[in-house]
Amino acid sequence: MNAHDPSVSSHSDELSFYEKRKGVFPRKVDGNFRRFKWAVMAFCLIVYWGTPWIRWDRGPWAPHQAVLIDLAHRRFYMFQIEIWPHEFYFVAGLLIMAGIGLFLITSAVGRAWCGYACPQTVWTDLFQHVDRLIDGDRNAQIKLQNAPWTASKVARRTFKWGVYLGISFFTGGAWIFYFADAPTLQREFWTGTADSVAYATTGLLTFTTFWLGGFMREQVCVYMCPWPRIQTAMLDEKSLTVTYKHWRGEPRGSVKAAVKAASPLGDCIDCLQCVAVCPTGIDIREGPQIGCITCALCVDACDKAMAQVGRPRGLIDYCTLEDANREQHGEEDAPLLKTIFRPRTLIYFGVWASIGAALLFMLGTRTRLDLSVAKDRNPEFVMLSDGSVRNGFTLKLRNMEGRPRPVTIALDGLPQGAIYTDEMEADAARSALAVEVPADTTRRIRVYAVQPRGVARPADFAFVLKATDKQGGGDTSQTTFTTAQGNGE
Amino acid sequence: MAFSIMERHKKIERNVTLLAVLAFAAVTVGGIVEIAPLFWIDNTIEKVEGMRPYTPLEQAGRDIYIREGCYACHSQMIRPFRDEVERYGHYSLAAESMYDHPFQWGSKRTGPDLARVGGRYSDEWHVQHLKDPRAVVPESIMPTYQFLAGRELEPGDRSADLRALYLTGVPYTKEQMAKAGEDLEAQANPEGDVAGFKTRWPKAQARDFDGDPAKVTEMDALVAYLQMLGTLVDVNAPAAQETLAKEKGR
Amino acid sequence: MADMNKRIDEPTGVETVGHEWDGIEELNNPLPRWWLWTFYACIAFAVGYVVVYPAIPGLHSATAGTLGWTSRGDLAKEMSAADASHAAVRAAIAATPIEQLATQPNLQRAAIDGGRAAFKVNCVQCHGAGAAGAKGYPNLNDDDLLWGGDIATIHQTLQDGVRQPNDDATRMSQMPAFGRDGILTAAQVQDVVSHVGVISGQEKPSKAATRGAVVFAANCAVCHGGGGEGNRLVGAPKLTDGIWLYGGDRAALTETVTNARYGVMPAWGARLDPVTVKMLATYVHSLGGGEKAAPAVVVPQAAAK
Repeated sequence: MNAHDPSVSSHSDELSFYEKRKGVFPRKVDGNFRRFKWAVMAFCLIVYWGTPWIRWDRGPWAPHQAVLIDLAHRRFYMFQIEIWPHEFYFVAGLLIMAGIGLFLITSAVGRAWCGYACPQTVWTDLFQHVDRLIDGDRNAQIKLQNAPWTASKVARRTFKWGVYLGISFFTGGAWIFYFADAPTLQREFWTGTADSVAYATTGLLTFTTFWLGGFMREQVCVYMCPWPRIQTAMLDEKSLTVTYKHWRGEPRGSVKAAVKAASPLGDCIDCLQCVAVCPTGIDIREGPQIGCITCALCVDACDKAMAQVGRPRGLIDYCTLEDANREQHGEEDAPLLKTIFRPRTLIYFGVWASIGAALLFMLGTRTRLDLSVAKDRNPEFVMLSDGSVRNGFTLKLRNMEGRPRPVTIALDGLPQGAIYTDEMEADAARSALAVEVPADTTRRIRVYAVQPRGVARPADFAFVLKATDKQGGGDTSQTTFTTAQGNGE
Repeated sequence: MAFSIMERHKKIERNVTLLAVLAFAAVTVGGIVEIAPLFWIDNTIEKVEGMRPYTPLEQAGRDIYIREGCYACHSQMIRPFRDEVERYGHYSLAAESMYDHPFQWGSKRTGPDLARVGGRYSDEWHVQHLKDPRAVVPESIMPTYQFLAGRELEPGDRSADLRALYLTGVPYTKEQMAKAGEDLEAQANPEGDVAGFKTRWPKAQARDFDGDPAKVTEMDALVAYLQMLGTLVDVNAPAAQETLAKEKGR
Repeated sequence: MADMNKRIDEPTGVETVGHEWDGIEELNNPLPRWWLWTFYACIAFAVGYVVVYPAIPGLHSATAGTLGWTSRGDLAKEMSAADASHAAVRAAIAATPIEQLATQPNLQRAAIDGGRAAFKVNCVQCHGAGAAGAKGYPNLNDDDLLWGGDIATIHQTLQDGVRQPNDDATRMSQMPAFGRDGILTAAQVQDVVSHVGVISGQEKPSKAATRGAVVFAANCAVCHGGGGEGNRLVGAPKLTDGIWLYGGDRAALTETVTNARYGVMPAWGARLDPVTVKMLATYVHSLGGGEKAAPAVVVPQAAAK
């Protein structure tokens, strides 16, 4: 054998660890599910694109964007709700709800998320439509794909990828508007004065949209996304999946073949329309598989084919595993409502709804003004020349309202105690201080509490915060008062 | 292409003599790259005014510093970063540790950097702090070195110490080495031969460092050393600043 | 020919490199593409780095790099940027008389915060991180400031230090070493200590204290006042309260009266810039013991400035 023998460099065909991608060129299809898919796509894109542009009046101290994730100032605005970093459990709760919601949806209607609402699905669908508009339908696309790289192919590809890039930029790039005031950011973006982070994020998201939606497509679902793997574990015999009813379809054969055949053939005419329209390039007739995102486009395609040959629709249809078994034995399907409302889905819904209710309850009862006190550790106390004892505290007054609030700070449980701040002199000490907490901020003040000599010294006392505006409200924070026992008294 | 390299490599692997010769050549290149710069190390140290070898007392203090393992918690190297410069002072220069054998740059700061601790606090503070760190810095976790104040410095042969350093390249004069013992005494004892000390060590500080004029203790030596740290080169002088500004490639 | 040994490995379909040791062969698998490109990218990066940054050592220094970057230059840039960001506030503080700072809450706040930072660098070694002091180093939190507690006085103490011979405006006074210099006998010293114990409320009146009162009136009252109320003009501490710089027990008091005390503080005006000294004064004043500007008679130095 020689090193220059071409057989040496060519890898063996028998065994390959790498599955080369076979191009997917889905044919245009029309039908109920396709129309539903269009509607969902339009809805998702409009919500995604439009949300940052909704305005919401929050008065002079807060931004006027209905949904805004203000990372710079660590605030999250959602219509009437404003979330501070320490209230992040609301966001965590929403994420948990989203997770359980996926469980719920999956156990009720199968991989509906994958088939209709997942961004990867939506953008892949969008780009596949671009393919059909520019290159023509399935056959034209395949022809162009296999054609040599002539000038015209280069031009068409360049044009198409340019369109991809444009869509990616205007959709993927729009993500940044969730993180800053959208109209301002847009103006800054086009005049080149926006923060470099905005350009970098837009660039990154444009690229990922372009690459994942334009080129990776179904490979993301099959190889990269963990969710299909998890869902295979989530599905049970009562979950809706797209099913090829093989007991009705097999043995398959064309109408002509059926005439010649010795024994009667099934309903499947082997027209391969279900394969041609599949956005992930699978053959549903091979049974349930990880590549199936249950978008039901094959249902539309098959229904059309059945109508043409005058056979009943639903050879490929949404069906549970249990119903499939029943149908094979000639029984009736279980009622759809009973399939959907079963203990498992009800339990998921219960968990999902109770988390939601708990979040709503917390939202309704959360405080918008609070006080926390940190006692000085060094020194713990200060002995004054007349025998009084002083302790220092750092108070954090948190005003979570979008306007400044006047408050008073007073002592509770420190007999004859007086307080003053580090901006005042000791002889100005009094029993209560009036301060203003600016809108939507935490104000930090140093407070000294003095107690004269010879007074009962409780170990614990509290600072009391009271709002003095119409709205009222307040907070109390326990702390301790330290003295040197038996020293200097 | 890949094939031919493989072929030649096979010759090397099978011929022991050739392998040895080529291995030696490879190691030599690596060795030269690592060792050669040491021959020119003096060139790379910036020239600054004021650096001098340590006096016998300072050197003795330095030995105690090393003996007590101070370097385990204290570095002597201010890096050119804003946070360090604002806390400890001007960044350290290579020249400032050129008479250190071995250098005390360190890498761990359980305690603060000491490269410019000299002159920052009073002698009394240092003595109090070394005896009981908590007395002046309540949150300190430094061990106490009470015993330093009581232990007289072992006389030893100070001239031999200096001569050993001389051999490593520290430019002590003959007179400095000969009178090392006397100078050690004189620097910490106001009643010793301070005048003679001052002629041999013009800019060194001579005084009773530990507040106990009766004897020269290890405390004297250590405080003298600490009070000298970082004070020899006037890094903030205009001339020094101008030179440093011209330095490239650092 | 060595390549005679090369063959396609049956199970994997990959060519071997041709070496064979005791039946063990090596597959000639190509490097993963992503790895290889990352490797090439690293080489390209390294070449670029060597060109633009200091990299290759020479006899006197390293190559400078086309960017002219130096760690020292970087530091200088950072320092000047930090200075520039503080410049406006510092200028405003410099332009405001220290007594007026409290009328501008923002400036006062900035001065307190800046002072706290400067305190951590320059003052904590003696006065402690919480400014609570230690034996011999005054607690700055209490209301018993030796030389006076209004902001201008604190400022002057900081500026000129305490007992600094080279500073004309420094806080200067010297308590005689009554015992050591033989002004008082050891017995008289003990009597005075008893008297101080009584006026500070630590001891019950005694004969010794009565004798001590006479000695006190003759020797101590000139600075510490007839009732031991102290005199801030000369930094003579109040002796009637529970605050002691060097300890208030008999042993400490005996030591003080016998050998005197002579605390010093650097004149920070000579070491720090005026704005930092001002900020430090504001910070110390904010520690809780700050007093209102006192009538001029109590602080003639400050008023004269």
